[in-house]
Amino acid sequence: MGESPDFISDLPQSIIENILTRLSIRDAIRTSVLSSKWRYKWSTLTDLVFDEKCVSPANDRCVVETNLVRFITGVLLLHQGPIHKFQLSTSFLQCRPHIDQWLLFLSRNGIKELVLKLKEGEFRVPSCLFNCLKLTRLELCHCEFDPPQYFKGFSSLKSLNLHQILVAPEVIESLISGCPLLEFLSLSYFDSLVLSISAPNLMYLYLDGEFKDIFLENTPKLVAISVSMYMHEDVTDFEQSSDYNLVKFLGGVPLLEKLVGYIYFTKYLSIGDDPGRLPITYIHLQTIELYQLCFEDADEVLVLLRLVTHSPNLKELKVSSSPVQLFPLEEEGFDLFERDYFEYKLPSLETMKITDVSGIKNELEFLRFLLGTSPVLETVIVSSSLMEKEAKMDMVIELLRYPRVSPRAQLLFLQD
Amino acid sequence: MSEGEMAIIKPEMMKSYIWLETADGSIQQVEQEVAMFCPMICQEVIQKGVGSSKNYAISLPQRVNPAMLSLIFDYCRFHQVPGRSNKERKIYDEKFIRMDTKRLCELTSAADSLQLKPLVDLTSRALARIIEGKTPEEIREIFHLPDDLTEEEKLEPLKNTMDDPRIRLLNRLYAKKRKELKEREKLKSIEVEEHVDERSVDDLLSFINGRDPKVVKTSKSKKKNKKRKEHKNGTSNGTCEASEKDSHNLHSKSQSAEIIDKTASSLGDVSNLLSMEDDIFTPKTEFEDGYIDDEIDPALKEMLDREVEDFARRLNSSWVLSIGQERQPVHFSINGNGTTRRLTGPAAGHK
Repeated sequence: MGESPDFISDLPQSIIENILTRLSIRDAIRTSVLSSKWRYKWSTLTDLVFDEKCVSPANDRCVVETNLVRFITGVLLLHQGPIHKFQLSTSFLQCRPHIDQWLLFLSRNGIKELVLKLKEGEFRVPSCLFNCLKLTRLELCHCEFDPPQYFKGFSSLKSLNLHQILVAPEVIESLISGCPLLEFLSLSYFDSLVLSISAPNLMYLYLDGEFKDIFLENTPKLVAISVSMYMHEDVTDFEQSSDYNLVKFLGGVPLLEKLVGYIYFTKYLSIGDDPGRLPITYIHLQTIELYQLCFEDADEVLVLLRLVTHSPNLKELKVSSSPVQLFPLEEEGFDLFERDYFEYKLPSLETMKITDVSGIKNELEFLRFLLGTSPVLETVIVSSSLMEKEAKMDMVIELLRYPRVSPRAQLLFLQD
Repeated sequence: MSEGEMAIIKPEMMKSYIWLETADGSIQQVEQEVAMFCPMICQEVIQKGVGSSKNYAISLPQRVNPAMLSLIFDYCRFHQVPGRSNKERKIYDEKFIRMDTKRLCELTSAADSLQLKPLVDLTSRALARIIEGKTPEEIREIFHLPDDLTEEEKLEPLKNTMDDPRIRLLNRLYAKKRKELKEREKLKSIEVEEHVDERSVDDLLSFINGRDPKVVKTSKSKKKNKKRKEHKNGTSNGTCEASEKDSHNLHSKSQSAEIIDKTASSLGDVSNLLSMEDDIFTPKTEFEDGYIDDEIDPALKEMLDREVEDFARRLNSSWVLSIGQERQPVHFSINGNGTTRRLTGPAAGHK
């Protein structure tokens, strides 16, 4: 059989590459000095991931940067065959011309996944990026994005992640529309963005920033939404719009399974003329998490109630109460819980967690509502932001009073 | 008859088995659900209908030996049970791959030929963990790899080994030898009338780029402007061909001796030239240290001198003389194989 003592070098290249891709790029390239057979085994790897750990650390930033540039250029030159994934995360690089060159090289070598996480200080994405029409995933941090006139979009792009990008809003909209296969979209750190999203295959939407207005125009396949919405002081812009934001945003997502909102998201949803009823039922919605919800604002509570009662399969609900109010509120005279809400049932709700409770009337009423309408409820976790023991005690006593429809329902109080 | 009796006696023991034959000829049977967990076996059964009896056993690929097969089936037997939790599976996997490295490699190979991807991924992960963070020597020892690269080849520019003390020592050694060589040639060339070439880099480069038409013509077939080294290679090979075609004789032995001496003396300078070119063309200064002048052995130097003499004899003398003390591209042809490696290593360029 001629068994050579070397038992790894003759494994098929696919296995060798399977092993090498699990190493850091530096370790993978070091295999080139193992033996003559190993000299170029690394050079056909299709996924290249670079960061500062590729080069030896040094006190002088310039040295590290020079070494990193040299390293990456060297790798690209010695590499053979297509490169499908290129990822670079570094806070060091100042030398834009090098990145431009690398991108040009990648655009000619069939790049499919590109991740560039650079430091602050705008790097202008070169035009060769817009020729990478095989791109399936694009992630950019701290860049300036300015496509040329002829650019129509990435026809194969499935995942787009833009973080703190300097770009004109129309560009984002047309970029999204120009990527018909888009499934994952993440936009973070944007200021005053007005956005209308039309993405027929979009499934995951992640938004984080100060958005003036978002309209989910055509997103029928959305499965999960997570929004962290910051708001500007002058909220009067919003009040003028007549559309109910809840409908504008969540009106066209029948397949939604998970909804998460932070900071002013619920407030944003509550703005607009109340149409009375919600036109849509979320059959697949299983998890709702709305944080920093202001219970003193009846409109926000109404949004919460509407969502909860229109999701027959809701299993898990997490809410946190916002102690801080940005906007002064008028006294609400009516008792919104005395409406026909008690006719609703929450047939699937199993767990509920509410934090930062301060004992406001609406908070307690909401819990009473839940306890009285969830036949399969198992756990209710309550944590309070109250400091004085007396007030806490009063709240606990009140909560324990409420009748529970589910025989298994447990009320758990968390001590912070 | 007896089979029928057996069937009556233990009906509940009747399971389906798949028959498999390993490359060494041994045949065994395995429970169907276990064997079918391997895509390759599954395919054979479904598409070709084999495996149902001893005579029609499925032949397994050569990389699967009986020991590995039994390991693989242990794996399949555990994982084909649907009710297990992810945690259970992980714990089993961690225990399963605890074996010596040789068996791990064999197992990877066998699993790959049976197309059992989860096991291939598991073993690859384990092998990667073994390789991670180790020095080349340690890795070579673990996997019994031959250390058959030359020092020069090991100095790949990406290694960032400028900090490595051994590399620094090697570099110093090379530098010292280079210096010695230069000294020796300087002594020799004292008798020679022509001086060591002191022309600028640009002049030399322009020469190489084709001041001499003969040189350019003969190297047309080679790509001229790609890389400096390749061009020089082409030039030198072309020159040799030209000289052989022309079959001019050198005027005299003494002249050839001059040429040889000059060639030898220029070796040191050439290497400097080349290193300067490196700076021009690439930012990889590590190159400099690795590729320049590895003639550290005086005996090797003698051999090179002889080779130079040989080639010099076949050179077109007029060309040689007209350029005076030019760089002799013949210096590169010593390599013989026209690769980008400019100078021969201790292996004297024979491959």
